[in-house]
Parts: sequence; structure tokens; C-alpha cells
Amino acid sequence: MTTRRQFIQRGATLIAGGAIATAVGPTILTRRAVAADKQLKILQWSHFVPAYDQWFDPWAKQWGASKGIEVTVDHVGFADVVPRATAEVAAQSGHDVHMFLGLASAFEEHVIDLGDVVTTLEKKYGKSVELSKHSTYNPFTKKQFALSDMWVPDPGNYHKKIWTDIGMPNGPLTYEDLVKAAPEIKKKYPQMQIPIGVGLSQDIDSNMAVRNILWCHGGSTQDKDSNVVLNSPETLHALEYAKRLYSVGMTPAVLSWNAASNNQAFNAQETSYILNSISAYRTAQDNKLPVLEYYYFVPALKGPTGIGLASEHVMSGYVVWKFSRNQEAAKEFLVALVDASRESMTASKLYNFPSFYGAAADPGTALAKKIDSGAAWIAKQCNNDPFGSKPAGKLALLAKSQPWSTNLGHPGSANPAEGEIFDTYVITDMFAKAATGVMSPKDAMLEASTRAKDIYTKWRKKGMVGGGAKDT
Amino acid sequence: MPDQTSMTSAARTSTALVLKHERGLRRRERDLGIAMLAPAVTYIALLVALPFLLAVALSFTNSSAGSLDVSFVGLANFRSVLKSGTFRRSLTNTFLFTFVTQVSVMVLGNILARALMKPFRGKSLVRFLILMPWAAPISLATLGWLWIFDSTFSVINWVLKIVGFLGPGQWYYWLGDTTLGMIAIVTIQIWRLLPFSTVILLAGLTSIPQEVHEAADIDGAGPIAKMFRVTLPMMLPIVAVAILFGVVFTFTDMSVVYLLTRGGPYNSTHVLASLAYQEGVLGSDVGRGAAIAIFLLPVLVALAIIVLRTSRRAEVM
Repeated sequence: MTTRRQFIQRGATLIAGGAIATAVGPTILTRRAVAADKQLKILQWSHFVPAYDQWFDPWAKQWGASKGIEVTVDHVGFADVVPRATAEVAAQSGHDVHMFLGLASAFEEHVIDLGDVVTTLEKKYGKSVELSKHSTYNPFTKKQFALSDMWVPDPGNYHKKIWTDIGMPNGPLTYEDLVKAAPEIKKKYPQMQIPIGVGLSQDIDSNMAVRNILWCHGGSTQDKDSNVVLNSPETLHALEYAKRLYSVGMTPAVLSWNAASNNQAFNAQETSYILNSISAYRTAQDNKLPVLEYYYFVPALKGPTGIGLASEHVMSGYVVWKFSRNQEAAKEFLVALVDASRESMTASKLYNFPSFYGAAADPGTALAKKIDSGAAWIAKQCNNDPFGSKPAGKLALLAKSQPWSTNLGHPGSANPAEGEIFDTYVITDMFAKAATGVMSPKDAMLEASTRAKDIYTKWRKKGMVGGGAKDT
Repeated sequence: MPDQTSMTSAARTSTALVLKHERGLRRRERDLGIAMLAPAVTYIALLVALPFLLAVALSFTNSSAGSLDVSFVGLANFRSVLKSGTFRRSLTNTFLFTFVTQVSVMVLGNILARALMKPFRGKSLVRFLILMPWAAPISLATLGWLWIFDSTFSVINWVLKIVGFLGPGQWYYWLGDTTLGMIAIVTIQIWRLLPFSTVILLAGLTSIPQEVHEAADIDGAGPIAKMFRVTLPMMLPIVAVAILFGVVFTFTDMSVVYLLTRGGPYNSTHVLASLAYQEGVLGSDVGRGAAIAIFLLPVLVALAIIVLRTSRRAEVM
């Protein structure tokens, strides 16, 4: 018979044995595997178009197999990309390659310079699009902290039938059109909850939408030299406009939206205009929703300045951590990913646009003509959507989206201060407070300007951001 | 016949052996005690105490998410957050959130516990259903609530519309309005904590001997006198623990706020924990986030001491 003491002693021995086996086992068991092959661990977002992940994962593994590298791909939701990076930096271990969706600049100190990868790619394909460069290169520290293989255009999505019924069959062209149309839509469609669906909430889509309004009224958070210029008459005009638009065409629902809300509202025909990539449209296609035949797109709307700009909807930014032991393999992988730009675009159902247009060029094209050739291939896809758009040219405007698309931090480059302003919703708060009347536009602007300057000052002290002499 | 000296010597030897054996036993007991406590102490030290001390240390630095270099900045982070309107709003929200949740949970938990003490058909099913929110993963549960309170598709609104409570053009924007947003957040937190409080209070109620109630009846005590003079005083220790647990849990919880409103609209529904996450992890300002997170530490420590002392006094009485 076993006494209680014997039972505990045996139990403790078993637990200790188990713990030792758990600690030592993987080392012993994997030593042989590590010796045989190199490893590469990639952290990747869960793509908004799930078909992309179905292509990416096996593609990455196959690429690894061809190079004798064991590739592991882990996916996280887009909201977990930054927290995961924070944890890995703190632990100084984790994945070798980490994909960011927006600005990776806050992590610049812990990533290797990818300038040589960009040079290699430029020699193969020509320059990348400007907005990708501005999102991945810090001109102040002169470091290529990330590599972008793709970006996503952010057109306006409008409900053709509704806009036709109010006499604007081609949808809105300017921000003023939204203000004019909203009362008409309310009259014709009183059951529609939110005639104009521009988000003013603490989410990624709203963060981009309010920047579009700001830029198109001539305002911005920083100038091209990283001076904070939010306190300006242009910002005030943008906020006064947002207040007018909110009063005639929106409801408090837009203050609570998450990243999926505008898609859901549009697909349920509860709004007539949203700012979004084509993922919402693809969802409508996949589910054969009644809204599908009325789903149309317009380019970035123009403000009173005549400027029509929209933020990229997603900007990939792959970084390679300094703590990675497989930096060369990681660099090779990034080159291969850009090489596969055509597959990437088609696997994402035309959601991803190549950052290096030249990588989508026809094989055998001379370097000097690669960018044009790639642009032609992209236009061919958009003009005749292989994924069943009716009419087939519904996405044609996306082929011409580059001139009206820009990066976060416009007209300057990405930097950690812009990243923090984005992630702490300084600009969406400013717009929401002004639009709803919680604060006057001027007070909302001054509050946001103070917050922005505090953030910039902090990052300047760390030597990561320039400017400051001309802060307003 | 053995002489006296040798007998004394044998007795001494025997006593020494017994004492040695006892000492060995005591040492083994002590070693076993240490071994049994070690996992819990190690767990608390590594996963609770160390991160906590680290958070306190970080709150006095300019630490950021993408950097391991830190400089001591004294109270700068605390001064900075105190100037922030969003922080002051979050502080108020945290107290409001905790107070309303705890009062509601105690009242509703008491009602439920009393109902569950009575025999009725389907009692075990009701108990199971009451425990469900406690067992459900909060992320999953909040997603359900997210749809219930969705500003465009709220089930509550649709029902209110169908029964004629909401007229044309009338709509509750649950998550797009600060007051309604806070109501939604508090509702979910009550829903989460109610099972735990109910079980604790039920345990407290059933632990009161029947004779005490009978004695009170004989003395002519009415229901209110019994409640305030017998039941509540006897349940005080267990109620104090339930309150302490609930308050600490609610003060430090960010999941409901973060999953439901993400602090919006315009950062007006944040509590300190969710604001700390937004500023420290998402915004990369770890020092500032840590300062926000530990701001209520003195309050929580004081509260814990008061509640535990009260419950100990009640036990002694």
C-alpha cells in the first residue's frame, strides 16, 4: 500500500522528470533537424481576403523547401500585429520576419537595415511606388527599416442605384458632393440609417478616412520636414466640413464602428457611401448579396483645394529583427516575395497591389520598361476582373489609383511619432469631437495639436524624428 | 543487574535517538512543506510579482515598445497623464464602472442566491445557466454582446422597434454614445461577475446554521431584522471576500471595454486598464502606459487592507 508521503514523493519525481524532459527534450530532438536545415519563422497577418493565406502559406513553405530552409508561418489578426511585435522585442526572441500593416517605424531600433534588399530589388525591377518608400524608409535616420511588397488602394464605394436616384449616377466626386447628396438620400430612402458612411471611430478605417478629409482640405499632421503643422486654418476647415457632413448625413453609429462595420453597413444597404478597399466587395461577391449589382467605386474625393488624396488601405512592412539568427534567409525570402508579386495580386483577388510595379512585368522585359510593363499587367487585371465582376471593368479605376493614394504621414515620411498618433487615435478623436459638437472645431484642433506635439517631442528626444523648428 | 551509570547512559542514548528522529521528521516535514509551496511561490514570483515590479519601475522611465534603452524620468509620466483629459475621464469611468458593477452584482447575486436556496423544478438547469457566463470565454461572449449592442444592427433596437417602443427615426446608438456605451459595458461586466457572486453568496447563506434562524424567529425577529441583524453580519466575511475579488477584478479589467468600444467614442469610455493598453502597447509609450496602469495601486492596496480587516473583525465577533 502506498502511503500519502510515498505518493507525493513519487508524484514529485514524476513531475520533475516531466519538467526535465520538456526542457531538454526539444533541444535534443531538434538539434539534428537544425543541423540539417536552416529555419525561418514568419509572422503574418490573417489577410482580409482569406484566399491569400491559402496561397501564401504553401508558397512560403515551398520556397523554403527549394532553399533547404524550414519555413514556419504564423498568422495573427491585424489588431495583434503590434502587440505581438512589442512582446517579441521585449523577449528578444520570436519570429525572424514580422509583417506590419501600417507603420513599423516605432520598432526601427530593433530591426536590421534592409537597404541592400531594396537595392537588389531596384536593380531587378526599378523603383518602388513612392508611398511604399515613404512608409518604410526614415529619412531622418536614413534607415530602410522595413520592406513593402504590397499596398492596397482605398477607393470610395458607392451604391449606384441610390446615387442614380438622386441624379448623381457616377457617385460623388468631391467632398462637397457628400454634403449635397445626404439630404436627398434621406428624402428618397428614409429607412436608410446612415446615408453617408464615413467612420469617425477608434478603428483603422476611420483613421484613414479622417486623414483623407484632412489632406484634401490642405491640412496634415506634419509637413515634409517632420514639423507638426496640425494647428492650421486648413485643419479648421476640414473639421468644420466634418461637422457639416455629420449633421446632414451621419449618425452616432459611425462613432462606434470597427474595421468591419462600414463593410457590413454597406452590404446591408444601410449606407450609400463608404471608404474601403475591395475586400467588402469581394465579400458581397462571395455571398451573392443583393447589393452586389449596385456596388461601384470612385477615386479619392477632392476637397475645396482641388486635392484628391486617399490613404493606402494597407501597407505591408516586413521587418527582420536584429535578434533573428536567420537574417540572410529572411532577406532572400523578402526578395522572393516581391518576385511573386503577380501571384500575390491574383491570390488576393486584386486586393494587393505590388509595391514594385516592375515585379509584375512580362518576363523578358528590359529593366527600363519593367515598371510600365508591370503597370500594364495590373491594368489588364483591373480592366477585366478575373474574379467575376459584372461589368468586367468595374475595378478599372484601381489601375489608376496610385496618383491619388498616399502614405500615412503625408506629405512627409513614416516615423514613430506618426505611428503613435495613428495608434492612439489623435486625429479620429479630433474629428469626432468636432463633428459631434462635443468640442468646437478650434478647441478640438488645439487639443489634438498639443497631443501631436507632445508625441513628436518625445520621439525627437529619442533621436528618431527630425523637425520641430517650424511646429505650429 | 546493570549499574545505574550504564542505565543512565542507555536512557540518554535512547533519548538522543528519539530526539534525532524527531528532528529528522521535523526537517523532512519542513522540506516537504517548502517543496509543496515552491510551485505556487515560484509562479507568483515570476508571473505576478516580477512583472508587477517591472511595471512600477517602467512607470518612472521613458521606455517605449520598440526600444530596450530606458532613462529614468522620475514622476514625468505621472505628471503627463494627470494633465490629460482622457486620463481623468478614464479615472472617473473606472470608479463608476467598478461601483455600479459591484453594487448591482451584490444586489442581484443576493436575490439569485436566495432564489436558489428554495426548492423548485429545474433548479439544476437554472444553476447551470447562471454559471454559463462565468465559464464562457470573454472574447467569444463579448462578440455576441457586440452584435446585441451594435449601433446599426442592435437586436435590442429591432425588438424595441417591433413592439412599438421606438418610433420612426428613433434609435439607440449603444456604442456610439458615451452614456449608452458605459451602460453597455457595465451590463456585460455585471453579466460576467454575477455567477461568481451568486455562488459565493449561496455558499455564505447555506453556511448559516438553521438554528440561528429558528432562534431569531422565536425571538420575534421579522424578515428585515433577520436580514440586517442575523444574515448579513454572519455573511460579512464571505461578502467581503466577494467584494474584494469583484472590485480588484473590475478595477483591473480591460477586456470588455477593449472588445466592445475600444474606448470610443473619442476615448470617452476608456477605463484605466484599457487606456494603459492603448497608450503603452498600441501607442508604444510603455512608460506612460505603466504609469496609467499602476495609478490605482495605492487605492487597491488600501481597499484590500480595509476589506480584509473588516472581514477578520467580523469573523472574531
